[in-house]
Amino acid sequence: MLEGAATAPSSGVGGTRTASPQTPLFSARSELSRRYRRRSRAREIVTAYALLTPTLLLLSLVLAYPLAWEVWISLTNFSPLNDGPTAFVGVANYRHLLSTEEFWRSATVTIVYAVVTSAAKLALGIGFALLLARPFRGRALVFLAIFLPWAYPASVSVIGWYWTLSPPIPTAYSVFMGTMKYAVDGAFGGGAWAFLSVILFNIWRGSSFIGVFLLAGINAIPPELFEEALLESKSRWQRFWLVTVPLLKPFIALAIFLSLTTAFADLANVWMLTAGRIVFPVVGTHAYWLAIKGGQYGPAAALSLMLVPVLLATLLVLFRIFDSPEATHA
Amino acid sequence: MNPRPWWRKLGHGSLLVLATVYCLFPIYFMLVQSLKSAHEDVFGNPLIVTSPTFENFAELFEREGEVRGFVGRALRRSYPFLDWLENTIVVFTGSVAVTLVASILAAYAIGRLRPPGFRWWRRIIFATYVIPHTILFVPLYQVVIRLHLDDNLLALLLVYPTLALPFCVWVLSTHFQHFPREVEEAALIEGASRARAFWKIILPMSRPVIVASGIFTLGTIASDFMLASIFLLSGHNQTIPAGLATMEVALDELLAVAGINLMAIPVVIICAVFARGYVRGLTAAMVEGS
Repeated sequence: MLEGAATAPSSGVGGTRTASPQTPLFSARSELSRRYRRRSRAREIVTAYALLTPTLLLLSLVLAYPLAWEVWISLTNFSPLNDGPTAFVGVANYRHLLSTEEFWRSATVTIVYAVVTSAAKLALGIGFALLLARPFRGRALVFLAIFLPWAYPASVSVIGWYWTLSPPIPTAYSVFMGTMKYAVDGAFGGGAWAFLSVILFNIWRGSSFIGVFLLAGINAIPPELFEEALLESKSRWQRFWLVTVPLLKPFIALAIFLSLTTAFADLANVWMLTAGRIVFPVVGTHAYWLAIKGGQYGPAAALSLMLVPVLLATLLVLFRIFDSPEATHA
Repeated sequence: MNPRPWWRKLGHGSLLVLATVYCLFPIYFMLVQSLKSAHEDVFGNPLIVTSPTFENFAELFEREGEVRGFVGRALRRSYPFLDWLENTIVVFTGSVAVTLVASILAAYAIGRLRPPGFRWWRRIIFATYVIPHTILFVPLYQVVIRLHLDDNLLALLLVYPTLALPFCVWVLSTHFQHFPREVEEAALIEGASRARAFWKIILPMSRPVIVASGIFTLGTIASDFMLASIFLLSGHNQTIPAGLATMEVALDELLAVAGINLMAIPVVIICAVFARGYVRGLTAAMVEGS
């Protein structure tokens, strides 16, 4: 039965969740055993910190320390182009950024990019998950097809997408893609086709991840809950909003968060799919431009760091949604 | 339940076909391109390949530095693809191993040993996701240089695990936290040590969740080319994504597409083999975590 719980959790796991702090093993409450327990508890805590060490070491070396460095730099006028000593300038970098037009442009583009792609990914992902939720012939194959865009390494598929959508002149499909490019650029301004390709690529890959992720979420919901709710809802549409969405809420929240973080921090894919000819800068590419091309490390650091509070706020909102049931039964 | 009417069946079927085509078309297109000769690339139908050839793949493995002829006035040289392949295998297996070991240990500590404030530990580790690596590459590079790891594969082994660690710790620790206590305690009563109980009982029973974490890690690190191209400078030390990104692709489009496929196919096969386990593991963590 326990084996079943670990491998096929969708079939009635309710019974196995019996973790309780007071186990029969420790029910004899003599003074001796209490002292023993306290000592072994202390040892447990020490072991716990020892086991956490590798993770915390990695995270502090690769994330915390660079982040602190970035914060410090954002408050100075550090630049490789500077001859003199680095001076502390306070929030001048931030204030200066907020007054530039480029900042607001890149912020707007980033927000539009993140919101549009996340909404599309979520819609497609829920669709995929619902398509796969019930058994039918050939489900394994369709599942595999939906899983592949995410499993196909994005580091190389992004190169493939670039050469598909912006092919070199001699290929057989260059004319078709060229026509598409001129049509899109003509309608929305230069650079629109390149940016559209960034959006399409992000959606293509992300919808696959969210679809599989939410499928796992649907499997995790006890089927009785679904069936009960089925009896009470009339139309499919109503069932979707009254049953499926509320039950999937925590998983949808997690999926949205992961999707937003990738979109907000995107630099590599935008760079690759536009071949560095960036007409619509996102925060990531704008910061890269400031730092690498302009040598303005301070403003670049300040710009990058402005993403963190936005993401943190998103995370706190989502924690409320997807972490809330834990408090009731931990 | 009534049998479903034919139009609903048709709708379901066409949605399935649509979803499959949408997901697979770009992959199919890249595969077809890589099998084309230059002649067919220019004159053939872009959607199909009539006389498939492996010359693009074979060309990738030619000895490095060999002059492969001229395109216009540009000289085409071979790339050290074998080195890239080797580096990629080392980096990917190493990073997945480091990630899994570190996250299993941390997750066991959080979910099972529960130090004071364990829920906050989990939240803090997950919250590191709000610090994107892409904004940190300048200071990250400083760290790498200070450790004398620039142009060294070890730099990636250090950085890659943190891309997936927060997610893996989250998933694994919720799994361990709700793992039935009696099973472990039964072993402890029998006289087994905690370590032994973990190794012999908890770990084997957690296989789906570990598989899910591993696949997530592989998918995440395989999507990076930026960190790889920043840290690995010389041609021999690059991984496939970093190397492909340096190609003169205007001249070597077919070669690049072949390289894409050579990199992607093994990863896709690994993911496909474990696809079922991936969903099952995520589900297991969600049942227990929600």
